[in-house]
Amino acid sequence: MDGNEVVLSIRDLHKSFKKDDSELVAIEDFSLDIKDGEFVCVLGPSGCGKTTLLRIIAGLEKLTGGKILLNNKEITGPGSDRGMVFQEFGLFPWRTVRKNIEFGLEIRKMPKEERRKISDKYIELVGLEGFETSHPYELSGGMKQRVGIARALANDPAILLMDEPFGALDAQTRNLMQKELLRIWSETKKTVVFITHSVDEAVYVADRVVVMSARPGKIRYIFNVEWERPRDRASVEFASLRKKILAELEKEAVTNR
Amino acid sequence: MRAVFGDSERKLLKSVIIIVISLVVFVLIWWALSAAFPSEYFPTPYDVGVAFIDSFQNPDPNTGVTMWQHMSQSLVRFIWGFALALALALPIGLLMGFSNVAESFGKPIVEIIRPIPPIAWAPFFFIVAGLFWGPVMPVFLGAFFPILSNVVFGVKSVDPLLLDAARTQGAGKPTLFTKVILPSTIPYLMTGIRIGLGIGWMCIVAAEMIVAIGGGVGLYIRTMADVGRYDYMFAGMVVIAILGILTTELSGYIERRASKWMGMK
Ligand SMILES: Nc1ncnc2c1ncn2[C@@H]1O[C@H](COP(=O)(O)OP(=O)(O)O)[C@@H](O)[C@H]1O
Ligand SMILES: [Mg+2]
Repeated sequence: MDGNEVVLSIRDLHKSFKKDDSELVAIEDFSLDIKDGEFVCVLGPSGCGKTTLLRIIAGLEKLTGGKILLNNKEITGPGSDRGMVFQEFGLFPWRTVRKNIEFGLEIRKMPKEERRKISDKYIELVGLEGFETSHPYELSGGMKQRVGIARALANDPAILLMDEPFGALDAQTRNLMQKELLRIWSETKKTVVFITHSVDEAVYVADRVVVMSARPGKIRYIFNVEWERPRDRASVEFASLRKKILAELEKEAVTNR
Repeated sequence: MRAVFGDSERKLLKSVIIIVISLVVFVLIWWALSAAFPSEYFPTPYDVGVAFIDSFQNPDPNTGVTMWQHMSQSLVRFIWGFALALALALPIGLLMGFSNVAESFGKPIVEIIRPIPPIAWAPFFFIVAGLFWGPVMPVFLGAFFPILSNVVFGVKSVDPLLLDAARTQGAGKPTLFTKVILPSTIPYLMTGIRIGLGIGWMCIVAAEMIVAIGGGVGLYIRTMADVGRYDYMFAGMVVIAILGILTTELSGYIERRASKWMGMK
């Protein structure tokens, strides 16, 4: 792939939930092409449909209009070609770190030695050496999410979907994990769709920041962030972009009163 | 090396000492009461101790066997009843938890039978199932419902996040069942087993008393009361207490091991 190929194409996405007799439109007129190796952040007020968007891409939720293509193939259900990282980790408590990471390989009946090679690779990538036989309850939040990332990557998915992955972590761990994620991203060259409601986080990690409007969720504005990484949070341009995005979000809050 | 005991050892020692004191106080109160109200109906701990030892050494004249045989008779019945309950309640519970149709179908039947005390079935089962199996069936019923309802609840309590996580890893329905639902249900199953063991144990003794022939510790207690040997009657009760404590401890141990294995500590 030459880095300009579209991996994920979202076309005229529409999603509504039926509630008793009424219908709640969560997402409408949402179109977005995401290129190979791109790091895209989706930002928006709470309840605007970010999680719903990601769950539809993951195949966990059915769309009610439009279509989504992954490498030119329409998505019809969940699959290991999309790796998902959850805010609340979603690790299997009865499985060790290694067995959590090998879950997808195991259900595809990969031989044990092969599985082990792959889990070793991702354990090293996310920096969990020495914790292979630990259970999730023995790990800190940051370490749990490292397992979550390794588990998602172990299937070698075409795209990594992350729903506020660091939202449950304290500020310091959060900053550390952002750096770690960028390192992992540059080493694996994965395409990433990253959801957050933190403007700071989005500007720090993303190639493109997609700002969504309040419900029903549409694309309000897309910011390109073409700076080198690691980015300097204290720089003038960082502050000014953050301000611009915040202004967009605030308009959203006002127009929806 | 001054600290001979670590914190956990000290805690254990402390609780053991308290248990010993508690037992001693219990026996003392018993002794004081039986001394204050001297009566053949109310033997002293000493009399009961003598009867207890004798019951294991010499066959009792009514049934012609020792306490060992009564005990093993009760235990074998208990194990059969419990094993049957587990073997049926687990799959039925999984099915009822998993499928709404199965639950709607099973629930009315369960709700009709559950309120009937298992012991109320004893005469019926004695007539249709005979001396050995008659007392087994109340154990089966007593253990069946707690296991069933805990398993159903366990399946329904599966964390939807774990199901989602497994689905994004490529898991289909059979895999979700074996690799997510089943392991998530194990702690609930263990709780059901612990409660079922306790109820089952009550049932075996009561059923043997009601059926009143065919051996077992329950029968032993009843015949000793009938012939007026209250010291031996109490000895039988002590046997039941000891076996009851052992089953409770065993199931507690299994439950702890299971939750540790489940990574839930
Ligand atoms: N399964 C569902 N059933 C009904 N409504 C839902 C469901 N999931 C989400 N919603 C609604 O859709 C909207 C978007 O939710 P969500 O995607 O979770 O927002 P966000 O992640 O941006 O905070 C909310 O109003 C929410 O109440
Ligand atoms: Mg959300």
